[in-house]
Amino acid sequence: MSRFFKLLFNELMKIFVRKTTWVMYGILTVIVIAGIILTITTDQIETEYSDNWREELKQENENLAEENAEMKRGSEESGIDFGVTYFEEQINKNNYYLENDIKPLNYGAWQHVLDNAGLVSLISLFTIIIGSGIVSSEFRWGTIKLLLIRPVSRTMILASKFVAVLLFALFTLIFLWIVSFISGAIVFGFEGFNPSIVLQKAEGLVYVPLVGEVLTEYGYNLVNLVMMTTFAFMISTIFRNSSIAIGLGIFLMMGGNMVVQIFSEYDWAKFILFANTNLRQYETGNVWIDGMTLGFSITMLIIYFVVFIVLSWVFFNKRDVAGQ
Amino acid sequence: MSQIALELKDVKKTISKKEIIKGLSFNVKQGEVYGFIGPNGAGKTTTIRMIVGLMKLSDGDIKVLGKSIQSDYSEAAKNIGAIVENPELYPFMSGWKNLIHFANMYEGISKDRIREVVKLVGLEKVINDKVKKYSLGMRQRLGIAQAILHKPSVLILDEPTNGLDPAGIREIRQYIKDLAVKENVAVIISSHLLSEIELICDRIGIIKHGELISERSVNDQDDSKSEETKQKVLLDVEQVDHAEGILKELEIPVNREGGQLFVELTRQEVPGIVKQLVNKDIAIYTVATTKVTLEDEFLELTGGNVIE
Repeated sequence: MSRFFKLLFNELMKIFVRKTTWVMYGILTVIVIAGIILTITTDQIETEYSDNWREELKQENENLAEENAEMKRGSEESGIDFGVTYFEEQINKNNYYLENDIKPLNYGAWQHVLDNAGLVSLISLFTIIIGSGIVSSEFRWGTIKLLLIRPVSRTMILASKFVAVLLFALFTLIFLWIVSFISGAIVFGFEGFNPSIVLQKAEGLVYVPLVGEVLTEYGYNLVNLVMMTTFAFMISTIFRNSSIAIGLGIFLMMGGNMVVQIFSEYDWAKFILFANTNLRQYETGNVWIDGMTLGFSITMLIIYFVVFIVLSWVFFNKRDVAGQ
Repeated sequence: MSQIALELKDVKKTISKKEIIKGLSFNVKQGEVYGFIGPNGAGKTTTIRMIVGLMKLSDGDIKVLGKSIQSDYSEAAKNIGAIVENPELYPFMSGWKNLIHFANMYEGISKDRIREVVKLVGLEKVINDKVKKYSLGMRQRLGIAQAILHKPSVLILDEPTNGLDPAGIREIRQYIKDLAVKENVAVIISSHLLSEIELICDRIGIIKHGELISERSVNDQDDSKSEETKQKVLLDVEQVDHAEGILKELEIPVNREGGQLFVELTRQEVPGIVKQLVNKDIAIYTVATTKVTLEDEFLELTGGNVIE
């Protein structure tokens, strides 16, 4: 087993010694900070509630109702119905606080981390890039000839590469948390060690611990990351070409939902990978295709995952490394 | 004298229904330097790739210290060190990190051993520089370093002196000989430079169309040939026409190339002929046996064409 950790160390060293990787971390940091600046300058968030928070919430609701009425007028003119608007949802939440006599949380580090969950798609993008290169680059550099002549099985080398890619995603995710948390704490403040907030769920408004919500939110986003990275890893192993893998990986990550929508009228659409990557649909109750269940989706995800891994393994193990 | 380090037994390789290697068998003993040569497309690279495990065998077997690379791959691979074609290392890492990387793929290679190898190939000063800054010669040395880190019993070098300056070539040549003699390593070398192969190798195998067409010792050559077989002898004389006439009278076939004469003689015949010429007042500047170079023989055996 220690042999495997040494191989893993090698792969991580090759990832983190390169400038490209650090550029990715730079981009992530810049985006988090840009988000903060945008939040402050546009004054989107009521950052603080004083002891007089009940009055403040009522005032906020009045403003929101006004904006909502304005928007409704606009949508009636254009004939588009938005359903429950963001403003209405916000008013409902504020009312929940008032009815249950809970002082709303000031915006701070934890909520900032939660709001940055969308950046997981950026991490997915980076991980797809790393995963697409980790096998094919060895072929491009010619170093595959020095890698596969060692007393280590090809299976072990491939496994160390795959695990290294997942670890890269994990490290980047932790980095995002830390940067979001620290910058959020500095700029907006710290909400305490186990704060709770009101959230809109399928069963209605609920008052939940924020930390748990952070973990679920990121967890849902990670499903797509893992699946698309594994897919890109497979493509790169089969075609030994990182461009194809990056291109396909990113295209499907972005366009996967579209694919499902195009075929959604067919019964077999539920077997498409992208119909199953969004597990949140079972929590909100807004299931894409009738007849799908959480169990079904998880089974489908496992089947796709195993197929991707097995195909990568077969191609990597059986292939002769011929000359250029 | 010593144990067989590498054994190829009726090795065959078929790629898309074409038989590239048609039953190749040879042995390399411990402490022996074996030259492996052949024209383009003869199957040299394919053979080397099969020995190191980059390609799978279609038939036959390859054994390293008695361990089959098919059934006992990791035991066999432990004892092989290789540079396959150009030494392509990670350009974005330092030489040191590259060596750490490859050392991690074995068990029990200490930092001291890595330092020792770095010193051996003379890269101490640049070992912390990135490989992309290295010259071809430096990369070649680093390539050798990664191949010998784990003290292999079989060392496979594809073009080991490619890109080195004459001083570097001599150094590497000396180093390879030392490895073979002192460490009892079996070295298999393929090279473009046939003169290089001749200088460095104990035994040579020539491969053509996937078959071994000739195999012989380098050192035996002179002794066996000089006594009985005819050798090409060069005569550089003042009166070329006259001398040619005399030789023809003696019924010795003579070739004239420029101002020099070439005759085919055995070793014993040479003094007599010289005496005859001297008696006829021919001024002789040089009498020399011209060695049949490996290149001549190679071209003869493989039927010319481009040498890989």
